[in-house]
Amino acid sequence: MRKGCLLLVAVFLLTNWSSAKDQPKFKSVEVKHFPNAEGVELPPEFSDFLYAELRATLQKKNLTEQLVGEDEVVDAADAPKSVVLEGSVLEYKKGSLVKEKLIGFGAGWRSLTAHVKLTRRSDNQILLDKDLKVRASSQWNPKTLAKFLANSIAGELKHESE
Amino acid sequence: MRGRNFWYSTFVLCSLLVAFPTAAEDPKPTPSNTISIKLENEVKPQTFSRPLKFFVEKVVDRSSNPQPMLVYKPRGGVFLDRQPTEVVQQALQETLQKSGLLADKRESADYLLTVYLFHFGLDSGSGLEFFGKVDLNVVVKAVISGKSQEVTALGTSIQGAAVRKKNILKNIEANIEEALEAALRNFLRGTKLRDAVASPDEAQSASPHASVIPPREIPSSLRFGVSEFAELHTGGDNYA
Repeated sequence: MRKGCLLLVAVFLLTNWSSAKDQPKFKSVEVKHFPNAEGVELPPEFSDFLYAELRATLQKKNLTEQLVGEDEVVDAADAPKSVVLEGSVLEYKKGSLVKEKLIGFGAGWRSLTAHVKLTRRSDNQILLDKDLKVRASSQWNPKTLAKFLANSIAGELKHESE
Repeated sequence: MRGRNFWYSTFVLCSLLVAFPTAAEDPKPTPSNTISIKLENEVKPQTFSRPLKFFVEKVVDRSSNPQPMLVYKPRGGVFLDRQPTEVVQQALQETLQKSGLLADKRESADYLLTVYLFHFGLDSGSGLEFFGKVDLNVVVKAVISGKSQEVTALGTSIQGAAVRKKNILKNIEANIEEALEAALRNFLRGTKLRDAVASPDEAQSASPHASVIPPREIPSSLRFGVSEFAELHTGGDNYA
């Protein structure tokens, strides 16, 4: 009888914990386009692709209830739980296929460094402000770096929200 | 003479050889490879402080795409059932109508909308997915003052790639629909549109007394700055 009660309590707690964990931390996230720093040579459509990839990844990882487009209005009631994600691409290295083939072990890979900033909408408090670096094989499309960067940012946001 | 004929026939033969495979590669629209884009979810525009009516004057294609209805070329192609301009015009008009913001005719509108379509359909992604993009540039023209302002809107969507033709069609359709919805939401809920319809210049021309009374004659308690005026118009319920 006692064991049964304990089991019931444990199941109840676990259900509550998992449902609380499933709830997105942010009410809304506004993703802004990441401009390129001077000297960064990326395809012109990279910025739009990164923007789309960020939106798709944040939605997939259930980090927010709703995704707000760039410069869209947000209800005042939602502002304390709403954030703005912005940043810029600081550096992009094309990589070298020769180095990759001759040396291996990740040498000659493409790399992209971006500065990411997460700001709370209501009081402009900065919740995240750091540089992130992602790498991929030089044989892959440069846009795969956008995919990796989006995943990396989503991971940081998840840690931030925990 | 014989030599000239030989060269002529060789040229014609080569041209035909080049032309026929190209013609075979070009996909043709059939009912099985044609998709129809419609808005699945309702787009709710922002609330304006005063009742406004918009009229969609025209949608102009500026994509410089020679085949705007062909959205995906490989695997026999995927076509739209209508021109992108028609799809956008219908979607925008339906959204405005559902929210009570659509004017019945041009004369009864407060603002005229001219939409320039810069991209509609798929864009190049990393190759592992379908990347849908709808890029609009809307010119919002105030009927009273005649002043125009540009409002840009972008909608994107990413869907997983598919192998089966049926799934390719389904994913592309969902992708473009989502991108169109996002673009319309971006336009109708954007701060740029809010600023365009609540600009102080337009308000001044709407109330002629404001331009008649010199600023020094207005009591300081009644003087409003631009930001305060904008706040007043939005009712303070929206955060930029």
